[in-house]
Amino acid sequence: MRALGLFTLVVLLFPWLTDSSYLLTVATFTGIYAIVAVGLGLLMGYAGQISLGQAAFFGIGAYTSAVLSVKAGFSPWLGMVAGMILPGLVAFLLGRTLSRLRGYYLAMATLAFGIGIHVLLNEWTSLTGGASGLYGIMKPELLGLKIKTGIPYYYFVWFFALLAVFMTLNIARHRIGRALSSIHGSEAASAAMGVAIGKHKMQAFVFSAMLAGLAGALFAHMGYSLSPETFGLSTSILFVTMVVLGGMRSVWGAVVGAILISSIRVGVKFLGEEIPGITSEFELVLFGLILMLVVLFLPRGLVPELKERFQNRWRKPKAALAAGSEKEGSACDIRSSV
Amino acid sequence: MEEFFQFLWTGVTIGSTYAVVALGFVTIYSVSRVVNLAQGEFVMLGGMLLYTLLEAGLPLWAAAVSTVLLVALLGFLIEWGLVRRAGNADELSLIILTIGASIFLRGVASMIWGKDAVKVSSFTGDDPLMLGPVPVTPQTLWIVGTVLVLVILLYLFLEKTLTGKAFQAVASNRTAARLMGIRPLRMSALSFVISGVLGAAAGIVISPVLYPAYDVGTLLGVKGFSAAILGGLGNPAGAVTGGVLMGVMESFGAGYVDSGMKDAIVFAIVLIALLIRPQGLFGEKSVGKGGL
Repeated sequence: MRALGLFTLVVLLFPWLTDSSYLLTVATFTGIYAIVAVGLGLLMGYAGQISLGQAAFFGIGAYTSAVLSVKAGFSPWLGMVAGMILPGLVAFLLGRTLSRLRGYYLAMATLAFGIGIHVLLNEWTSLTGGASGLYGIMKPELLGLKIKTGIPYYYFVWFFALLAVFMTLNIARHRIGRALSSIHGSEAASAAMGVAIGKHKMQAFVFSAMLAGLAGALFAHMGYSLSPETFGLSTSILFVTMVVLGGMRSVWGAVVGAILISSIRVGVKFLGEEIPGITSEFELVLFGLILMLVVLFLPRGLVPELKERFQNRWRKPKAALAAGSEKEGSACDIRSSV
Repeated sequence: MEEFFQFLWTGVTIGSTYAVVALGFVTIYSVSRVVNLAQGEFVMLGGMLLYTLLEAGLPLWAAAVSTVLLVALLGFLIEWGLVRRAGNADELSLIILTIGASIFLRGVASMIWGKDAVKVSSFTGDDPLMLGPVPVTPQTLWIVGTVLVLVILLYLFLEKTLTGKAFQAVASNRTAARLMGIRPLRMSALSFVISGVLGAAAGIVISPVLYPAYDVGTLLGVKGFSAAILGGLGNPAGAVTGGVLMGVMESFGAGYVDSGMKDAIVFAIVLIALLIRPQGLFGEKSVGKGGL
């Protein structure tokens, strides 16, 4: 939890360190991505399931909240609640239907689901405004004041992001996390030990979908309009890349992944202004390289690998460990698997 | 009625390309237990490279042969440089690895050819021919004909050559094949080369109809994979049937329901089919229980 405290401090101070509104926007988006990434990380790293359709839950959350606020005049707060519940429900139904599939089949099914939802957002014009999108999305209000884009919205998003990290850390460290870890290790052994595999995987899937939905709702209210292209396959892959780069079996890995990938995107944008050949598609080249290199050379992802090196360097004599020193692993007070 | 046959023929044409992509998936999967999600990019590169070589002034046959060879080499490199290095990685890592390869190739293609689709002219003009009562364009005959030839060649290779038999031996029992002096890794590399050839050939013949662009591989790959799964992963005949079925469903969905919704319709049907028969229509082994 010490890591969470330190990180919270960094989040709180960030707006004071930069006066660029562009960087603040990027940092706000990073918070939104981090919410999706910690949920997806739990699903991938602990339940061992890949979802190639996470952008669909992100989109369902965004559109639920936006449609309720634009077409029915609901308060964005209610929209956000609905934007969490509906993706969770969809994930539950999808998980129920797909419970007989595994591995590649499941990866394929989530991919097909993602593409299907993307098509729906584009085609269901009466509800979603089709390809041109929805306009006139309201900002949420707090104590009678609009939460404006900029510093207020940054804090608003990161409040939820830190909450999501806190919740996921707790899940990952306790019974469910241990059960999920054991499933990822060996399904047969876990089943033999009486772990309710199906139940835990389903919980992880629904939880990740709810977080993606919440992130979507936050994304929707950040701007004035919403259009379907944000919620396609490339966004799903972006989320997967964040989780893989940071480390699947680490909640902090997902956060670090979200921050790194956002930084890379900013870098590409600035490079693109200097060098004409570098378009936004150059991101694809980089993300592709990252995915391939991480699988080959850092299979566990950045955070677990770095942590191990760090701890090996500072390894204490055995006697100190036996004395049960409280300071062990002070840099990030995280149990072995988190 | 004529409309019906028109849709059917269009479906068979599109379906043939899905069938080839599905064959590529199955070829690799049966030997190396890897699902190569970069399969669609082979098709995309087939179209793009053909365009470039034709622009450079090569005659069609030379451009086509060079394209096939280049993509086959790429297939070999993916196996030798990535899949082999990953060693005994689990399924999740292999999925991530081939997704990485796929978006990397897509990104490189966008940097070389830009974002706009390119146009390749039909091989033998556009004057419609009569196929029974239905007027069809010559290019669709090229597509279906090429796919038929590819399927027959693959069948002959697997059934009538020693290498093909060795290939099947590795697919059915890796350890036993190794004991008989067959090298599984060579067969694995060969499977990627074959898929490269299949993908590139499909990309070449559909390029005049498809207008290839850097990002067409995604959907082709997904549909080809769905077709392979629909037919039962690991079964060449099933892959071809699955591909043609998907194309026909898509064409009817676009023609009779709504063209914008055609992909959603296809995937919905595939999902339903998988729920009824998780092992696919011509199912291989059990898919395993306890997914989510």
